[in-house]
Amino acid sequence: MSTITSRNSLVNEETNRYEFAAGATIALSALLFALGMTALFEFVTLTDPVAGVPIVSVLGGLLVLIGIVVLGLGVSSRLELTESTPDRSAGLVASFVFGGIWFGIGGIVAAGMIGLDGAGWILPAFLFGGGAFAATAFTREDIGSTLPAGVSAILAGGVFLTGVLGPGWSWSPGSFPSDNAVTFFPSVVVPGSVLLCSLLVGWASAKAYAGFGARGRHLGAHVLIYLNALGIIAVLFGLVGFVVSKGAPTAFTGFTIGLGVGPEVTVLGLSFSLPVSWPFLMNGASVFVKIDGILPAVVGTVWLVIGAVLFAVPLAVGAAVFLAEYAEQGRFTSVVEVATNGLWSTPSIVFGLFGASFLIPRFGGSKSLIAGMLTLGFMLLPLVLITSREAMLAVPDEYRDASAALGVSKWQTIRSVVLPAALPGIVTGVILGVGRIAGETAPILVTMAGGTLPAGSETIDVIGGFEFISTPPFVTNEALLEASSALPYQLYALITAGLGGPQFQDAPFSALDFAWANAFILLTVVLSFYAIGITTRYYFRRKLNR
Amino acid sequence: MSESPTTNEETETESTSIADPTPEQTARTEASTSRTSTTSGESEEELHEEWTNYHFEGETHVSVENLDVHYGDDHAIKDVSMDIPSESVTALIGPSGCGKSTFLRCLNRMNDRIKAAQVDGSIEVDGVEIYQDGVDLVELRKRVGMVFQQPNPFPKSIRSNVSYGPRKHGDIRTGFIDRLLGRDESDAETELVETALKRAALYEEVSDRLDDNALGLSGGQQQRLCIARALATDPEILLMDEPASALDPIATSRIEDLIDDLSEKYTVVIVTHNMQQAARISDQTAVFLTGGQLVEYGDTEKIFEEPESQRVEDYISGKFG
Repeated sequence: MSTITSRNSLVNEETNRYEFAAGATIALSALLFALGMTALFEFVTLTDPVAGVPIVSVLGGLLVLIGIVVLGLGVSSRLELTESTPDRSAGLVASFVFGGIWFGIGGIVAAGMIGLDGAGWILPAFLFGGGAFAATAFTREDIGSTLPAGVSAILAGGVFLTGVLGPGWSWSPGSFPSDNAVTFFPSVVVPGSVLLCSLLVGWASAKAYAGFGARGRHLGAHVLIYLNALGIIAVLFGLVGFVVSKGAPTAFTGFTIGLGVGPEVTVLGLSFSLPVSWPFLMNGASVFVKIDGILPAVVGTVWLVIGAVLFAVPLAVGAAVFLAEYAEQGRFTSVVEVATNGLWSTPSIVFGLFGASFLIPRFGGSKSLIAGMLTLGFMLLPLVLITSREAMLAVPDEYRDASAALGVSKWQTIRSVVLPAALPGIVTGVILGVGRIAGETAPILVTMAGGTLPAGSETIDVIGGFEFISTPPFVTNEALLEASSALPYQLYALITAGLGGPQFQDAPFSALDFAWANAFILLTVVLSFYAIGITTRYYFRRKLNR
Repeated sequence: MSESPTTNEETETESTSIADPTPEQTARTEASTSRTSTTSGESEEELHEEWTNYHFEGETHVSVENLDVHYGDDHAIKDVSMDIPSESVTALIGPSGCGKSTFLRCLNRMNDRIKAAQVDGSIEVDGVEIYQDGVDLVELRKRVGMVFQQPNPFPKSIRSNVSYGPRKHGDIRTGFIDRLLGRDESDAETELVETALKRAALYEEVSDRLDDNALGLSGGQQQRLCIARALATDPEILLMDEPASALDPIATSRIEDLIDDLSEKYTVVIVTHNMQQAARISDQTAVFLTGGQLVEYGDTEKIFEEPESQRVEDYISGKFG
């Protein structure tokens, strides 16, 4: 154990000024990261003033501040004004990252700001990149981690503050042909560089907070991971929020709650008015209604998913039972596995074409709901099969042994032990599959799509469509053989029809508003299917574990 | 395989003996005098037929004759013959890989579930050959219950764990249609669950939470639940494959007490690694040693006090194992 050359104190002292500064820098970096995200999604506009100062200047000032502080942290550690345990170098990964970032900075400054033509940017880029690499790799860890990060932040902040990169700025790299030039605007460049610099400074100050060394790297990695997770969640919520903010106002036009305001419905011969009126969801699109709606498409999508699930899930689970429990694990099962995986990644338009050329001629020769259901069912089959099989293989063999030792037959064991234990996994597969097929456009386009904007009278009525007849097969359903719309198809049809200008007579919204509301409803319907699936899975999991 | 020529000779005798008019006797006489050198540190292996001839009073419940088990090319059990007396505890001991679990799994034909396993020989339960065509495995396993090394309750309620066997065999009807037709036998189920749990000495601990999931029980409780589950199909024989090896000492001693009680009504065959446990709870002990041979079988006291075989003595005194 003589290789250990240094020992650090086992217990670190209480917070001092150095740690406070480092902690505050981490917090400021996180704040800047969040601000950068909001700016990227245009929740705030860069030129908007905060207390008389444009936001871009506030961001610049904060960047300069944290850059200076993190530099100070590194220097005070290097001068041993504070107790820290830095390694000899920040490491090769950090060196390459900083080298790459500064290579880019050098190139952009040379080409975009000084305006060097041709290959003139290469030399400064290599100078900057090489300098940053050397500064990171060949200095002690405290300087190597903080110096390049701090200087990047100060540089970016300085550019924002001096107005070099003001609201009117734009840059088109000359390497692209002029007729489809790529142009960078501040609305992207500023949030982007704020995000990058806050990541770098957050990482460096986290290292400084923990005194560099092993603990420093640990905390630095943590801060990076947390900021990254924050970024992903922000993108997710940003996306959903964007669609909701664009679509919800139109979708809720004329939405009222109250006794007897809704349309009249008849259930079991009893007629009454719904207590909710939601015109966009309850109307079709026609000149006779004041607020055009998408009822036929919503109903079409719901029936489509129900039909596909009813068709595919029993088949897939049955096949999975055979593959997991009865078939001998070997070449046959692995061929089936490869085939199902391939089927799952088959492009949906191929399924659509299959449906159009195989199913439609067998169901009356025209586009129909049942052709769409079966096509989507075929798409759903492989995923449910794969996940169900995996779920069943994951059921411990002890259960099967225990059941067999009690003299219970194989099929009864599968039914009452294996399947219940595998149910959460099976439901997960159904959730994932439904998420995919509910938003599928291409197969619907060729197998079941009806008109672009169907009227309320074209709403498909599957339950009411059942009729008993006196000849075999004694039951018939016209509704299944009718063409119908579905939400993703209707959105596609709206977009191809053109979104410019007001298109709806009497309606208080334009075609573009209508399309956004359509997207919002589609998102809501898909998320509701998710919610149903997740609740089901939760219910079965609880049953297994409690 | 580090087998000496004598062993090869022995297997040869066995293989040729198929054509022999009295193959068993030839094989047995050959085996009874054969000597096998084994892993270093072990004494020379000797097998004598009289060491495994155990005479007891009372009825024979299970009779095993010339049992051979192969897993592919691996000869897991070699020519084992033993009679197991009724309503007693028989312990099977021996080092790992000696075939005692395989032997146990032959007694309720659980080895049928392993495709590579090939069983030759004869096993009679109550005088009926269980390795013949037309044996009803459901009926056999109802009579010969089994408890495994790891507690393996189903992820269901305690009640449905215990009543699982009878319900699936149709002995107790609690299904929807039965409820509809008024044939519901929930009372019978409750009674059966109570009896089985009481017999497994678990009822008092769980009587107020029969509908809770069985996975919430402790390891020892789970194992007693598995015993109760096996008892619920009303078996005559109970096979136990190291039932206490995954449990702590207190749970182990409860299981041991339970086995002692059960032996008044059931024929218990238990595999164990723990020689003290075998000495404590069993009436007779069979010692299997490497190679899948039964070396000695007799009264537990005799096996532990004055074994005939040098290797058994070495094993029991801990010289190898």
